[in-house]
Amino acid sequence: MTELTRTGSDGIASQGAASGVLRWVSLSWRGLRRDLRAPDVRALFVALALAVAAATMIGFFLDRLERGLERQAGQLMGGDLVLEQSEPFNESVRQELEDAGLTLSDQVDLISMVSRDGAFQPASLKVVDDRYPLYGEVRVRRGDEPEMLAHGPAPGEVWLAPRLAQILDVSMGEPVRVGEAELTVGGVIEREPDQSAGFSSFNPRLMMHIDDLETTGLVQPGSRVEFELLAAGPPEAVASLESRLEQLRRDGVEVRDVRVDRPGLGRSLERAEKYLSLSGLAAVLLAGVAVAMATRRYVDRHLDTAALLRCFGASQAQLTRLFALQLLWLALAASAVGAFLGLAGQAVLLALLTRFLSLELPPPGLLPLWLGILTALAVLVGFAGPTLLRLKRVSALKVLRRELDPLPASAWLVVAVASLVFGGLLWLYSGDLTLSFGLLGGGLVMLAVLWGLGWLMLAGVLRLVAKLPSHNEGGGSVNRQALRLGARQLARRRQASLGQMLAFSVTFAAMAMIALVRGDLLDTWQAQLPEDTPNYFAINIQPGERDAFVDTLEGAADELTSLYPMVRGRITAINGQEPREAVPAEAQGENALRRELNLTWRETVPEGNRVVEGQWFDTLESEQQAGQGWYGEVAAEGEPRVPISVEDGLAKRLGLGLGDTMSFTIGGQEITGEIASLRNLDWDSFRPNFFVIFPPDVLERFGHSYITAFYLPDEESDTLQQLVENFPGVSLLNVEAILERVRDLLAHVTRAVEFVLGFVLLAGVSVLYAALTASRPVRAHEGALLRVFGAGNRLISRTQWAEFALLGLASGLMGALLAELAAAGIYLGWLDLPPRIHWGLWLALPFGGALLIGAIGHLLSRGVRREAPVKSLGLLGET
Amino acid sequence: MSDSSRLDSAPILHAQGLAKQVASGDRQLTILSELALSVFPGETVAILGASGAGKSTLLGLLAGLDAPSSGELTLFGESLAALDEDGRARLRAGRVGFVFQNFQLLPTLTALENVLLPLELSPLPDSETRGRDWLGRVGLAERLDHLPKQLSGGEQQRVALARAFVTSPQLVFADEPTGNLDHATGNRIIELLFDLNREAGTTLVLVTHDFALARRCDRCLRLDAGRLVEMQQDEVQA
Repeated sequence: MTELTRTGSDGIASQGAASGVLRWVSLSWRGLRRDLRAPDVRALFVALALAVAAATMIGFFLDRLERGLERQAGQLMGGDLVLEQSEPFNESVRQELEDAGLTLSDQVDLISMVSRDGAFQPASLKVVDDRYPLYGEVRVRRGDEPEMLAHGPAPGEVWLAPRLAQILDVSMGEPVRVGEAELTVGGVIEREPDQSAGFSSFNPRLMMHIDDLETTGLVQPGSRVEFELLAAGPPEAVASLESRLEQLRRDGVEVRDVRVDRPGLGRSLERAEKYLSLSGLAAVLLAGVAVAMATRRYVDRHLDTAALLRCFGASQAQLTRLFALQLLWLALAASAVGAFLGLAGQAVLLALLTRFLSLELPPPGLLPLWLGILTALAVLVGFAGPTLLRLKRVSALKVLRRELDPLPASAWLVVAVASLVFGGLLWLYSGDLTLSFGLLGGGLVMLAVLWGLGWLMLAGVLRLVAKLPSHNEGGGSVNRQALRLGARQLARRRQASLGQMLAFSVTFAAMAMIALVRGDLLDTWQAQLPEDTPNYFAINIQPGERDAFVDTLEGAADELTSLYPMVRGRITAINGQEPREAVPAEAQGENALRRELNLTWRETVPEGNRVVEGQWFDTLESEQQAGQGWYGEVAAEGEPRVPISVEDGLAKRLGLGLGDTMSFTIGGQEITGEIASLRNLDWDSFRPNFFVIFPPDVLERFGHSYITAFYLPDEESDTLQQLVENFPGVSLLNVEAILERVRDLLAHVTRAVEFVLGFVLLAGVSVLYAALTASRPVRAHEGALLRVFGAGNRLISRTQWAEFALLGLASGLMGALLAELAAAGIYLGWLDLPPRIHWGLWLALPFGGALLIGAIGHLLSRGVRREAPVKSLGLLGET
Repeated sequence: MSDSSRLDSAPILHAQGLAKQVASGDRQLTILSELALSVFPGETVAILGASGAGKSTLLGLLAGLDAPSSGELTLFGESLAALDEDGRARLRAGRVGFVFQNFQLLPTLTALENVLLPLELSPLPDSETRGRDWLGRVGLAERLDHLPKQLSGGEQQRVALARAFVTSPQLVFADEPTGNLDHATGNRIIELLFDLNREAGTTLVLVTHDFALARRCDRCLRLDAGRLVEMQQDEVQA
């Protein structure tokens, strides 16, 4: 022993724990810093940073979008909680809401004729109190400049929509008659903070003060008036009223809760959101595969270090700590870079999307950042963990006997752990346990199938190669010789090749899938709103005007949809019961139960509708006795019961299915229909859509008008003028602006989707980089051996080409299979699109794969080919 | 070292009935059998043997890098049989130095960092100063920041020597320390090894097939058919 006081063999334990930890932290940090030049560490870093960037980008974006939408929703609804019924609310309800901490505002909605000097126009009246609006401001023009006002019109005053002012030809300060009251025009409304939709808003708006309501005399027993109680307050206040709200719903009050009834984004944006999440996960998966590949090389390279440290007395726990810490620093550094990229990426996504949602977004929260870091760590543990354990198992004896490498981690263990972790991430991001582990289970089965398939392909390749005439026999070209050598190398290194084939096929599949889904999404969107999508709606066409109206449009308008007759009716019974007693509790406040519905009749299934259950009338009718229309039957049986077709969404909400009956009061008469079919339709289609359709010969006897939609090009303004002049009673609604907005939104969603696709492709390239980095030493060794035996540069170069290209071809085939199945699953289960086979994929992936892997692999091995054999031969096994 | 002083102290390393068998195909291959050895503090012992005689296997066993198939082995008075791999590693930490035939320097570490590596596991006060000091003693004071690939073979082995002695170990194992070096460089390394060993008062167990190297040791043992045989002075001289 020396003169020095040594800390002893158990020095670490005898030192202060803190300094011990610090020493390991510093040791691992320095180790990592030195390691940064190694390609595998760089590959690990890039892959982890990409995983974090993808996760945080999508996370930040969706988080901000969600919170922004929630904030906006309150404004759009007019409050955080909106109660609506056809009679005034009593004092006890008000008291309860106020006691819960909510601020209340009363509003009354009704449709009434407004007149001035003999000009009449039905208007949608919004009667507001002094507290209106609870959220936001009204943009009103009272003088030359529009103003933003946080109140409604004063008593005695009305504000009009520009269209109403124009129709009535009134100016500021002039009187208009509303019911029996005469009120003064005090402003022209440019924008309301709360926007209600639906047919009532087809009538231009008139806003007035609630104090004037009585003098109008419009509210009479039986008149159609909606009383609304708007409430604003913190979410907790609304939550505390939960059971009371349930009670109100059962009493037939329509309750809109901002947390539940947030105005939807529309299916396109919803799909885009899902696509973004999916792409984020695909990028994380790809990064995971890259991490797994890079880790193999990292571990190989550090086996000697581990053995040496064992030799110097490091315990397994210390080795684990050292390498775990090293990778932790790497993951944290990658997280920082990834999070920064993610932040930048979400800013791009937001710039692409939100301008069109006119949303004010809250700043990014911290949650996505933590999720990103968690993702990096999870990816590291899941995809690198089992392989890293090899370092711990290394024997100190390896310093004396180089061949003593610990057994590589079982491929199945690697896949199992990675799958479990990825499943967990899927769950974390989708919040859907069944979906996550269903996808995962399917994925694992697919991997097993691919493994078997890969094994067979490699065996096949070996057999084929054996049949190729050798150099001497056939005097074969260098190409053939290279192909034989390359294929043999690939097939002989079966385990390594299978691992690479799986990694590449998953990579190709993920890249292809994201590209496929993108293409199909865009196709669907384009098909949804083609060039000639109707830009005008015409309602209230009287039966006598019908033919003349069509004639006027003839030749000028494209895509005139059918003219649908429209009869208004109210649901009075469901299955013979009072409607509210017959439907589930949550449907008590359903709009369709409280309002008159627009009913139509039709012989054929309307365009854009799809019968999803039951049969359409024509099929039914042919089964009936010929020669009798429905009306005849109805009349004959005395108890009217006719087949009807109901929109599937409404049926689902009301808990109705085939065979259930619905009774309607139309013009004072009752008609009962039996649900014969359920229809699926697209409410965003810019065509007339109906909840309930009757067969012909039932509703004709009731008063009805027609509705249609058509596309009128800009240059046909004469026709428009003609329509306005010849059919003064017909309301023409220009939806061009809305249509443009939706198109614009889709265009930007498309760009966002493409941006994310680019990101996924980048992650795919990181896998290739990591994989080729991992296999470099082995290939260098093989090339050097060939050179020692006299092979020329040309042969070695082509042999490597052949090997990489074959690898790419096989991986491409497997990837195509995987992508096709995965895309079908996603379409059916998630995006709600019909699946289809993509033939192009089966050509593009194998040949594209061969070309891509062949070229990149060949390029990356250029350095290897330039090295002197001595160096390459020494490279194998050295760190 | 005289026989009487040897008997005064307990052996630092003691092996009795040591055997090592390995599976070769479906039969057992005996590499070492009934092997006995005692090494006392301050001794220098050479183990000679032809290629494939099992020298490295023996060194691995003696240093606790591997476990014997049977037999007893004590290192620093502790029976290795009672220790698992981690226990054996802890026993080595800071007390055993190694010199390898292929140097075993980590390519990403500088000369100084390589020397400091064992100290990371068993810290001593002023580690860095010690590391510099030892590199100075092997004549590499000017090459502290060089990576192994920037050093010649002899220089790399000098770094390895500094690394072996930097923790002030009680026992240094050397496995063919000149095996990868030319004759002249090898000789210089041997000189240095014995000088350092003498200065530090370390016990040295050296495995070699080089008689010239073996002659420098207090005792020479020949590994023959799996057993160690003490060599006489004239045998070594021959």
